Amino acid sequence: MALPKKIKKTLNLIPKKTGFERRVELLEDIQRDGTYLPKGIGHADLDRGMLDFVKNDLKTFMDGKVIPTVDIIITTQNWSQFTETWNFQDLDKNVKPPFISTVRQPEVPYGSNPSLQYTIPNRKQFYYAKVPTWDGQRKGVDVYKIPQPIPVDITYNVKLFVNRMRSLNEFNKNVLQNFASRQAYTNIKGHYIPIILNNISDESVLDIDRRKYYIQNYEFTMLGFLMDEDEFEVSPAITRALTMYEVPLLNKARKVEPQPENPNEFPVDLLFVSGNTELSEIFRYTADIFLERTDNVETCEVYINNDYVGELNDENNKVQINTNDLVKFVITKKSSGESKIFTTAKLL
Amino acid sequence: MSQRKVPITRLNKFFADEDFDLDISIGQEWLHGDMNFTFVLYRVDRQRTKKDDVYGEVVSEGVQYHAPVELKGYVQIEAPTNAFMGSSRIGQVEPGNLKVGIYQSYLEEIGVDIEFGDYIGYYEKEDRVRYYSVVDDGRITSDNRHTYGGYKPYYRSITASPVTNDEFNGI
Repeated sequence: MALPKKIKKTLNLIPKKTGFERRVELLEDIQRDGTYLPKGIGHADLDRGMLDFVKNDLKTFMDGKVIPTVDIIITTQNWSQFTETWNFQDLDKNVKPPFISTVRQPEVPYGSNPSLQYTIPNRKQFYYAKVPTWDGQRKGVDVYKIPQPIPVDITYNVKLFVNRMRSLNEFNKNVLQNFASRQAYTNIKGHYIPIILNNISDESVLDIDRRKYYIQNYEFTMLGFLMDEDEFEVSPAITRALTMYEVPLLNKARKVEPQPENPNEFPVDLLFVSGNTELSEIFRYTADIFLERTDNVETCEVYINNDYVGELNDENNKVQINTNDLVKFVITKKSSGESKIFTTAKLL
Repeated sequence: MSQRKVPITRLNKFFADEDFDLDISIGQEWLHGDMNFTFVLYRVDRQRTKKDDVYGEVVSEGVQYHAPVELKGYVQIEAPTNAFMGSSRIGQVEPGNLKVGIYQSYLEEIGVDIEFGDYIGYYEKEDRVRYYSVVDDGRITSDNRHTYGGYKPYYRSITASPVTNDEFNGI
């Protein structure tokens, strides 16, 4: 009796990832065993992928034996056929049926993969990944950029050479099962590349007076893309310098003496030595200068920026000074010798 | 074949049955005695051979044969042809067909008939034999070429095409 459909016959020990985690897994597949960049894909990689697809996914058995596959794309160099087919050749060194051969149409037109149409002009580079860097002193980030892959359509004719109708049936069943959803995928360097079954035709040699065998031709189109690693771009982004120094933990830091705040009012004393009656000073602040007292001074004239502003005496004892003013004091002494003027500056 | 026999009297002013038999015997003496082209006929036992029910194709290792018979005839092998297998670009040199002219009286004498699908082995060298499958057993001999000057048919032309070793490789 058949089991009910809802009963699982096998259990996956490793759960399959879905959604975002699956996408991350695919990205890791692309980058595996290499740099942070995806691996480049060329024509030869696509051809190899098709050969592997035929060899593995379309594997067909006849009388308990695998139908051998010519594991190269047949080219113009005839000798290479021999190296791949020597184990199923006949007395005349001709390839003997049954076998499967893959022929590529030499021309490769621009692709029809809908996700890679003419969308981005001028081979513009696109951000792919940010990769942290460290050169021993500087920590930074490299920005990896790649251009849009170039879509290509490659047509392959997979030909089955057999002597029996039952072998045709078996291979046909394999192909149609693989392409029941119109397309199948082959994994080339971590990228899943779709293959479409176009047509099935017959080229059997059925002449009455010749050796007879069936040839069936399965035409596939691989919707591949080309990615040239030489076009990948790696450019530095941000770098940060990290300076490190060592501090001895056993030494106590020297305690800084607290300083009083700068006063807003302080004395400004002017000394006129013997024989000198003039003093000039550039003030770096704005303040009022108040005369406190004088010693051996008859008169004191004040010039600011060489402009006379007045006499400084007990009645007129204040001079206002702005920042960067050149203030000149000119005195007349009561007697020869040393003279002093004591003033107080009040910052404004 | 009709049980009723009618004497052949054409050409009877200068040719008769005795002349015909004499010429055939001279020809056989030349062919079998002097030329001595021999080949081996492997007749398929169509009764005992295991066949596929739907396609009538023989199952693996299922072909049964009668005992092989060594025959003498006039053997010609055509030139090989160089061609691709279909459109596969896999080239091959296809061996030429084997054509055998064989006296009808000789076949009747030893009681052997050659039929479509039988295999023929022809030793090209002491250690190299090539097998052929009969594609034309030449049973129709009504044309002028197969008659002795229009008198009576006297030989059959057998055409056989080469087979690969996986189809037939001797018994």
